[in-house]
Amino acid sequence: MIVCVAVVGHQNNPLYIQSFTEADDALKLHHIVHCSLDVIDERVNNPKKSGTTLNEAFLGLLYPTLNYKVYGYLTNTKVKFIMVTTDLDVRDTDVRSFFRKFHAAYVDAVSNPFHVPGKKITSRTFAESVTNIVRSYTFN
Amino acid sequence: MVREVAESCVDTMLMEMVAMYSGRFYANKPELAARRIEAIGYQVGHQLSERYTMERPRFSDHLEAIKFICKDFWSEVFKKQIDNLKTNHRGTFVLQDNKFRWLSRVSIDPSPEKETEDPLSTPGESKAAQAVSMYLYFPCGIIRGVLSNLGIPCAVSADISSLPTCSFVIRVKA
Amino acid sequence: MAPVGPRSGDAIFSSIDRVNAELFMLTYGAIVRQLLTDLEEVEEVNKQLDQMGYNIGIRLIDEFLAKSGVSRCVDFKETAEMIAKVGFKMFLGVTASVSSWEADGTCCSIILEDNPLVDFVELPDTCQGLYYCNVLSGVIRGALEMVSMKTEVTWTRDVLRGDDAYELQVKLLKQVAEEYPYKDDE
Repeated sequence: MIVCVAVVGHQNNPLYIQSFTEADDALKLHHIVHCSLDVIDERVNNPKKSGTTLNEAFLGLLYPTLNYKVYGYLTNTKVKFIMVTTDLDVRDTDVRSFFRKFHAAYVDAVSNPFHVPGKKITSRTFAESVTNIVRSYTFN
Repeated sequence: MVREVAESCVDTMLMEMVAMYSGRFYANKPELAARRIEAIGYQVGHQLSERYTMERPRFSDHLEAIKFICKDFWSEVFKKQIDNLKTNHRGTFVLQDNKFRWLSRVSIDPSPEKETEDPLSTPGESKAAQAVSMYLYFPCGIIRGVLSNLGIPCAVSADISSLPTCSFVIRVKA
Repeated sequence: MAPVGPRSGDAIFSSIDRVNAELFMLTYGAIVRQLLTDLEEVEEVNKQLDQMGYNIGIRLIDEFLAKSGVSRCVDFKETAEMIAKVGFKMFLGVTASVSSWEADGTCCSIILEDNPLVDFVELPDTCQGLYYCNVLSGVIRGALEMVSMKTEVTWTRDVLRGDDAYELQVKLLKQVAEEYPYKDDE
């Protein structure tokens, strides 16, 4: 199950972060998200080391921890999407399709004329669609 | 299916937006009107770039991003591509549209004096030419908004010395 | 010459030049936001949007008459139906319905279930008094004035403000008798 998702701006400014666990581990998940930003920067600056195709938005598995897998996605506009899951047997195609939907929901949210670029996304519609997307993906 | 509206809705809205800012609000301060019109374009470009780059891999350099504007972006907005792209390879790009849709469709001023369209011939620009240049701050803002969102800060200006050709000059900031 | 029967909104919409609706809605949104920054007072923004719509309506009526084949001499009831069925369709690609007629036939409601101006819009708490779509009421007022009908157009329902549809009340204030002499030109 997906336990946390985040959207981070091009200056590593958090735009949206939401965890989906009952447990009181939000702080730990936020820390994981934070650490993954460095991994993304590293990946993008040294593309040859990574297994993904050059410049593809989907960055694949960023790093596994004991209990989680962390995936990343980077748009043309330098916005980072991060997803943390407890599922261990995950197919890449499912993760890709998850990020595409997540990205599309983000694009609609920032198309609101009252959204200020670089500011946190406070839209209720966005929060709802992200929750729905997250709920519809169980990778195992 | 892609949602569409009549082209005249966009045309008349743009005309009224320009009339509102340069005619009613800042009639005696054209530079303020220009800044507002450019800002409106900037927001539109910023948002459209987010939408139209959604399905593509990240651009690896400035030229790729500019080519995206010339081809895909222009096609989405104007149903045609930019006709000619020039660059000095030092951060200046000139995008030439031989029949810029927003100029051919918009009747800014019905005055028949075609020669006044040459800015070199009249030191004190005619009203029509002034209205056209005010109008062009909008697409200039759009282009700047797109590039800025793609991580390329720049200045954009328009050159209409040979209508109906319109050239957009992009100067990337170092 | 007898007017050719009005064409359907669908037929006109499919035959005219169209553009991507995203450009339209994002541009309108950017204008609204810029007006809020420049004018500060939400009331004043409502007024300017209405004024902008009025000027647009004055321009669009000619295209409407030319392309729809609608004759000028219709009563208010027919006019309201034309706006809803043909006007909204040929310009915005959506249909509207007319209801809530007052007995004397001078006031009705135009209801829009689909509205391409608002696809991504969420109003911030700071501008609750804003009639985001006020340009539309201005367009109707401006267009009708060009066919000699002075109207008052007000929003009675607005989805952005929590209602279930967009509803405009159109009230006929005064109908100036049509001047027939220049009918000959048609």
